[in-house]
Amino acid sequence: MKLAAAAPGESPAVAPGFYAAAQKIYPREVKGRFSRLRKWAVFVLLGLFYGVAWLQWNGRQALLFDLPARRFYIFGLTLWPQDFFYMALLMIIAALSLFFVTALAGRVWCGFACPQTVWTELFMWIEQWTEGTRSQRIRRDQQPWTAEKALRKGGKQLLWLLLAVHTGFTFVGYFNPIRTLGAQVLGLALGPWATFWALFYALATYGNAGFLREQVCKYMCPYARFQSAMLDQDTLIISYDNGRGEPRGVGRRGIAARAQGLGDCIDCTLCVQVCPTGIDIRAGLQYECIACAACIDACDPVMDRMGTARGLIRYTTENALQGKPARMLRPRIVVYALLLLAGSGVLLYSLVTRTPLILDVIRDRNALFREVHGNRIENAYTLKIINLDTRMHSYRLYASGMEQLDIAAPSAPIAVSAGTVESVSARLQAPRALAGGVHTISLSLAAMDAPQIAVREKARFIGPNP
Amino acid sequence: MDVARVLWPSFLAACGASVLFFAVVDPLLLRGAGPRLFADLDREAGYALGFFFFWGIGAVASSLSVFLIRSSQHRQSARERAPSAP
Repeated sequence: MKLAAAAPGESPAVAPGFYAAAQKIYPREVKGRFSRLRKWAVFVLLGLFYGVAWLQWNGRQALLFDLPARRFYIFGLTLWPQDFFYMALLMIIAALSLFFVTALAGRVWCGFACPQTVWTELFMWIEQWTEGTRSQRIRRDQQPWTAEKALRKGGKQLLWLLLAVHTGFTFVGYFNPIRTLGAQVLGLALGPWATFWALFYALATYGNAGFLREQVCKYMCPYARFQSAMLDQDTLIISYDNGRGEPRGVGRRGIAARAQGLGDCIDCTLCVQVCPTGIDIRAGLQYECIACAACIDACDPVMDRMGTARGLIRYTTENALQGKPARMLRPRIVVYALLLLAGSGVLLYSLVTRTPLILDVIRDRNALFREVHGNRIENAYTLKIINLDTRMHSYRLYASGMEQLDIAAPSAPIAVSAGTVESVSARLQAPRALAGGVHTISLSLAAMDAPQIAVREKARFIGPNP
Repeated sequence: MDVARVLWPSFLAACGASVLFFAVVDPLLLRGAGPRLFADLDREAGYALGFFFFWGIGAVASSLSVFLIRSSQHRQSARERAPSAP
């Protein structure tokens, strides 16, 4: 048996293709339309993330997934655990939107909106501000430690840490009221779990955006792996125009590249240097490509300088590259769009017609029935009334399903304040002559000021065996 | 790398499982589950406990998967190395 000798410096223990030691990538800074777009995306999305947590609505936090109280406040809407249906529907709609956009325009989510991309971009700005451009960073990393290097590197780490901790704090602020949290932080009285989760999320941000970066997309992201199932020949991708660019190379000055048998690509490798995942787009579509379009921004000015048309690297489709007509309306686009419409329609309809009232009827466990004055049979119940509305209501109870069924208690309307649960004992009575056996009755509850807020629950009325 | 392979998918699974589980179950209900075990549990501790429980279960499942893949690869490469039967 012959074993291939490992090359010097290579670890023979690592199985080939199993895990390649990650090489540090120094993305080159780039300016252009798509970088501007991403800058906007970072400002808008992170602005929303850090800002909305502080927004107030009707005297409380506008967007708060209050886990300790088990209530979700989404602006004017209060969701209870019973409303999980809406959250599930919302997640399905979000997933469908992602599929729809991906089928249509490729990985725009990855390039412009994914938290991983957005925070990495922010962390890279800090890196560029403290450590300078790509070439400066590479040079400094090779140089021995000096006071300036320590200051720049330390400054970067400090800024990263501060940003990460603030991010973790904001994240927890969506699950606990953020103003209370803020006061607790200032008073050094933050609860143990809030502290733990804030630091947990801070660590994740710091690690993902500061160090792991493109490796998250390459090795960890499940979406990056299965989204190829959503792409087809007509999906927008970022591609290098092989026919136009090849054979690449720099010709002699003063003579047109074509006359020398060369393509438009001058092999300046700028597209490789700006790539945050460190790939060469000229090698074709690769799963590492997050469609950030940095290579387009890098290539266009080069084409301008060379006097050739822009778009050697551009947004295009496989079909367009092969000279076939591009189709926007494909079956999968139509199916995704219809599903999306249906999901949104169901959500909207059910939110509009949602009755902000829940009634639970629990029969008294102690006695099946009781004989009361006047030769009547009485059953006792506990009513659990949940007012899901944002204001107080008074409800009136109605009973039906049996002849001469009367409500002995409660005699007055039941007032339940906004967003609270009220337990009320109710007693129903019927004449003994009519009460024998088991009867299915229905109890309904209706708000006195808003008759459309009404619910009906089934219950049993039990009398002596006839 | 194996640590990441085990912890990362189980983390994702634990997130999903916690959301589903606690959408239905109020952590305060767990107080009644064991006589002493969860008697002083508040909701925040309940969520955290549940999350780490699911993460742990997921990690066990993931490590089993890694182990099974790993050992079948070992056997396969051993078979390839062995001289083929006459």
